Amino acid sequence: MINKKGGGKLMAMYWFVILMIVAGGIFAMVYSFYQHPYDVRELEAEMMINQIADCLSSKGELNLELFNEEGFSEEFPENFLENCHLNFEVEEVWEGEPQYYFRIDFYNAINLENSVFEISKGNSNLVADWNIQEEKEYKRTAKGVEDSFFSFNGEDMYLIKILTIIKKTEKNVK
Amino acid sequence: MLNKRQKNQRFVSYTFLEKKRKAQVSEIMTWVVATIIILSILLIFVYASSLLAQKTKIIKAKDLKIDIGKEVDLLETKNLIAFDLASENEEKIIKNWEEENE
Repeated sequence: MINKKGGGKLMAMYWFVILMIVAGGIFAMVYSFYQHPYDVRELEAEMMINQIADCLSSKGELNLELFNEEGFSEEFPENFLENCHLNFEVEEVWEGEPQYYFRIDFYNAINLENSVFEISKGNSNLVADWNIQEEKEYKRTAKGVEDSFFSFNGEDMYLIKILTIIKKTEKNVK
Repeated sequence: MLNKRQKNQRFVSYTFLEKKRKAQVSEIMTWVVATIIILSILLIFVYASSLLAQKTKIIKAKDLKIDIGKEVDLLETKNLIAFDLASENEEKIIKNWEEENE
């Protein structure tokens, strides 16, 4: 009789310990899943491409501010961020080290090999960081997206290639 | 010197103890195995959830679908508009370029 009671207590202890271990396991699962941040850098880069493309071209026509009488204007690129409502400010963590970069190349449709005009802003060092990933994708390097579209300036057709790169590793990768 | 009755008693108690010990060992083994299975399943799930977190938390715009049920590519739309506005030669340039980039 005494043994039976003792065995029952021992089993209760055992189940309690198992319950704690299972609870700990569930906590570990949830913690390990949610401690990894969402990596939205490629999404952010694609959004930046869309924003730039919308700023450069509307209804198939290039923004007239891009041009002056002689050809491509130098004024528009100077205030490109303000003109296209882009904000490259970052949190204090990265102050002094820009986390964004973009480059826009304009090609005349007659010659798609040589760029006729280029606009770039941000941290150009990120290009090397992004280029490393041609063969293999690394988690902690900058993420970039490249896309292109055709648009017109009066009678001339241009191919516009846009490259956007975003670093922000600390907030997107663990 | 033990008499016959004493010998029998000793034999009975000895076999009883032996059986009881065997029963206890088998019961303990059941719970040990059960515990090992529970712990290994838990570890597998913890490992799987960490792997899942690493792989599924990379979000790309192309993976997202808008409420209309189609993937919308803004630059593709711009290309289509350009294609509509293009002359025959320019249409060829766009087609060739798209074929090269597919």
